Amino acid sequence: MDFRFDIVTDYMPFFLRGMGITIGVSLAGVLIGLVLGLLIALGKMSSSRWVQLPFNIYINIFRGTPMLVQLLIIHFGVVPLFMSPSNPLVSLVIGLSLNSAAYIAEIFRAGIQSIDKGQMEAARSLGMTRTQAMKLVILPQAVKRVIPPLGNEFIVLLKESSLGSVLAAPELMYWGRAAAGQYIRVWEPYITVALIYLVLTLSLTYLMNYVERRLSTSDQR
Amino acid sequence: MINVKNLKKSFGDNEVLKDISLDVSPQEVVVVIGPSGSGKSTFIRCLNMLETINGGHIVIDGKDLTNKKTNINEIRTDVGMVFQHFNLFPHKTILENVTLAPINVRGMKKAEAEEKARILLAKVGLAEKAAAYPESLSGGQKQRVAIARALAMEPKVMLFDEPTSALDPEMVGEVLEVMKQLAKDGMTMIVVTHEMGFAREVGDRVIFMDNGYIVEQNEPKALFDAPQHERTKAFLSKVL
Repeated sequence: MDFRFDIVTDYMPFFLRGMGITIGVSLAGVLIGLVLGLLIALGKMSSSRWVQLPFNIYINIFRGTPMLVQLLIIHFGVVPLFMSPSNPLVSLVIGLSLNSAAYIAEIFRAGIQSIDKGQMEAARSLGMTRTQAMKLVILPQAVKRVIPPLGNEFIVLLKESSLGSVLAAPELMYWGRAAAGQYIRVWEPYITVALIYLVLTLSLTYLMNYVERRLSTSDQR
Repeated sequence: MINVKNLKKSFGDNEVLKDISLDVSPQEVVVVIGPSGSGKSTFIRCLNMLETINGGHIVIDGKDLTNKKTNINEIRTDVGMVFQHFNLFPHKTILENVTLAPINVRGMKKAEAEEKARILLAKVGLAEKAAAYPESLSGGQKQRVAIARALAMEPKVMLFDEPTSALDPEMVGEVLEVMKQLAKDGMTMIVVTHEMGFAREVGDRVIFMDNGYIVEQNEPKALFDAPQHERTKAFLSKVL
């Protein structure tokens, strides 16, 4: 088999640009997902069943349907209602955010509920409101516990952003498919793209491990 | 100071407190004893509404906790609570554990809160641990910090829910010593405990609870030396 390195070098500027966009949309997705996810988690932990209900429905829908389907509906159905022509990058960021919010909500909920009940009781017994106790006592402890699963979610999201290629969002996978189409070659573009994804996810894994170590040495129970 | 009238509390079908009435005067030290499952922990937790009650009234310092208009957070600032498992905040230093509520609930200046916290930590013999984290403390030290943390809110009443039950035997004394000092300083206290020596020595009144009722109450000497009820006798014969 002859491996044509000239294809790789020819397309490298596009791959690198695509990589930048992949990182950008994943980061935007996880950041918006964090904010939405926290709100959804708090809503789902409400003592009222009626308040819980919409948050449960949201989580079930976004975890229970394929991200590809969600992206197609968002890009060709929902976003055109608000902007025309619809921008695939906007659709991709919305899709990644809404999808990751559902997973992140469950991560937050598990983290918050893993904190000993006595912590909330102690805080309340000192006269703190529920919100104060959450903010000052529960969440700071929960954040540490959710860092590892959040890291996993970020890695999953980074890989799933490749679905953006279906919407013609110019991220990494899109350029891989473009190169494959132009040269009618499989190995060179896809192996290169795969390697770049691998470098990204391994760097992220390393980064998360570093953050975890830093947090665990600063203080613990 | 505390007036409890016809207090009732159930968990589902299980009626844990059946018609409890009790008046506690200022500066009085009331010790609650009884077998496990008698409702004594639930009772003390009701006094600052950590449990919602199903009937009756609780009035603390003239404020009715059962009145919906009463601001429960405000009452809690006047009622200090010490838990069996300490419940210190593990992500905060000892000093921050003590200053957190005064700063955020009372709106006290940080410097002022820290100064006060250091005085309280000195009082419980832990001044040198101010910068440490709870994990580095022994059980007895943790519980003394928990007492200082509650005292930092300048409560009018202190509630102790089995404060020495989770401690190694050699640590019990140091915690009881702090509580003894607190009683001597005139704090109104309600103490749920299995430490009969403490009840006898420090208590102004001992209450024996069983099966959701106050079965018997008296001065410690009278209750321990001449219990009136069969159930009190049976319980004391096992623990003394």
